[in-house]
Amino acid sequence: MKIAITGAGAVSAIGLDKAETLASLLAERSGVGPVRYLGTSHPEFPVGEVPLSNEEMKERLSLAGDKPYTRTVLMGAMALREALSEAGLAPGDLADVPLISGTTVGGMDRSELYYKDFISPDTDAHTEYIKTHDCGATTVLTGEICGSFAFSTTLSTACSSAANAIILGANLLRTGRVEKVAVGGSECLSDFHLSGFNTLMILDRERCRPFDSRRAGLNLGEGAGYLILETEESALRRGAKPLAYLSGFGNACDAFHQTASSPDGEGAFRAMSKALSMGGLKPSDIDYINAHGTGTPNNDASETAAMKRVFGDSLPPVSSTKSLTGHTTSATGGLESVICLLALQNGFLPAEVGWENPDPDCIVPVTKVRKGVVLDNILCNSFGFGGNDSSLLFTREGSDIACPASDGAIYVKAVSKITPETGDPDFRQFVSPIEARRMGKLMKRALATSKTVLAEVGVAEPDAIVTGTKYGSVEYTEALLFSLKGLSDQPLKPTFFMQSTHNTVGSLIGIQTKSHGYNATYSHGDESFDGALLDAELQLRLGEIDNALVGVFDETTPVFSAMLAKAGIDSPEIALSVFLDRNPEGALCRLEDLKDYLKTI
Amino acid sequence: MEELINKLKLEIIDALNLDGMTPEEIEDEAPLFGEGLGLDSIDALELIVLMEKNYGIKLANPADGKKIFSSVKTMAEYIAANRSK
Repeated sequence: MKIAITGAGAVSAIGLDKAETLASLLAERSGVGPVRYLGTSHPEFPVGEVPLSNEEMKERLSLAGDKPYTRTVLMGAMALREALSEAGLAPGDLADVPLISGTTVGGMDRSELYYKDFISPDTDAHTEYIKTHDCGATTVLTGEICGSFAFSTTLSTACSSAANAIILGANLLRTGRVEKVAVGGSECLSDFHLSGFNTLMILDRERCRPFDSRRAGLNLGEGAGYLILETEESALRRGAKPLAYLSGFGNACDAFHQTASSPDGEGAFRAMSKALSMGGLKPSDIDYINAHGTGTPNNDASETAAMKRVFGDSLPPVSSTKSLTGHTTSATGGLESVICLLALQNGFLPAEVGWENPDPDCIVPVTKVRKGVVLDNILCNSFGFGGNDSSLLFTREGSDIACPASDGAIYVKAVSKITPETGDPDFRQFVSPIEARRMGKLMKRALATSKTVLAEVGVAEPDAIVTGTKYGSVEYTEALLFSLKGLSDQPLKPTFFMQSTHNTVGSLIGIQTKSHGYNATYSHGDESFDGALLDAELQLRLGEIDNALVGVFDETTPVFSAMLAKAGIDSPEIALSVFLDRNPEGALCRLEDLKDYLKTI
Repeated sequence: MEELINKLKLEIIDALNLDGMTPEEIEDEAPLFGEGLGLDSIDALELIVLMEKNYGIKLANPADGKKIFSSVKTMAEYIAANRSK
């Protein structure tokens, strides 16, 4: 099967649509500068802001009424609408088109603004924004602005979220579930993110300089990028013109550390290698790599190590366009995919700005736009905290991706759960006190159920780890918000930020079990577990994996429960792990009967 | 200095949430990172937060932490020489 891209849309600091983005790329125009729209206690850091207020975005989208639209939703809708329009899909044409989106902190831009009201029992002000707090609501609202999609789900793997949304979309096509799918991601700047990244001391006070020996960190940005993926057959039938093709992809887990990449870039190496092999290409076939290239000392050295392992001494041209857009976190996979597409279509190599000093441990990036080049094959890297590393292969001509999809049964081999009714086990049997120093109860419970299930089936390293969570680690997110809003004496600690990322549980399981295979996290409201199960099912059917450890993990606190109750939302509290494979021997039930089975235990 | 070292050990146990650990278990000159306690880069950032909150010391470059945090003793010496509160 050939996966065509028939539409694309982008919004970032360098352009409100694809045409503006292209012009900025060709002119080497950076959108990084002093903060203008975001309310923050850290104006000392330059950022890549989309040059519009929320009201101006609403005007561009012709949105009337008083629905609670977050900035992430508004930017996402602008990019998604552009992609749909280019693909010739009207709002009424989407009944068989799913929307798969990535975001890290969902509606945090409003949550941080209204947080004191959210948790006050004395006011109902801004209560309508409580239900936009979670990542799934962001996707649903974005979709609603653009039409009536078949269904939607949300990936939340930190800075590789959108790339992983593209991968799920491709697997939906490969298994024949759908013929068209909208994929990408959106993330706006928030004080939560800016203050959080500041605690990790990886923000540059000047413009970022990826791969420069004097690089001192990243600049945060914001934006959105969406693609319409479609089987080539469907595109030809509709008369939709393929702009380019998605011809391979790889997702792997670095399984090293929750905020640092390994020195040899194992996860990145595996992700790039997998993308190449799926596309049937040799390293020498690649004409350009759009690097993750954040500008942090750790990422750029680790990514270089991985690129050298894949490409040896014949590295293709590489650049990080984050020097122009800032690091748009979860949206990068979408935004940079569109940038790669523009490069393929228009035959140019995007350049970095600001790079001056070679680093023996880093690649030397493209620093001047090279026009008039023929690009056939491009790799686009997106890596996230926890070592959730993904690489996408875009090609000018279509290349067949194998789709050995099977309809055979998938079996549930083991189940373990912790709920308020079961109570907590003694966690010391699963994790040592020194390891547990940064683990809240959510992480300990997740490790307990995961390790129980793996021990039961006798598998040390599952092929895939896929988790779902509606709200992530509420304990740490709340601690961060309390510090940010001056509601506690605690300083804003790096641990709060690191553990607030929704993929922290899934990647922790990867790190603890040293599993370098597929790793992803879904955060789509009450359907987060469904998203994770769907992902694992598709890959099992495609033969990409032989087994999967799938789970759903949510926790609550008294403050959080009271906040949700104000908006009429129940607080989930569960840790549930299941092990799936294709062997009927010793099975508890078939995958389609899992929900019924869970009611009996 | 001994008093500061002991106080610091308690603060480290609290800041890094080293549940169940006592100050006696942390040796004055044993390495905090790598071998010794086995702490990592996030712990180093937590120690930077600790120094700022409790002793008014601001560290601009996380790489500077490497030397300062090689043991509780070196950390105490650095604090004694640079503290503003």
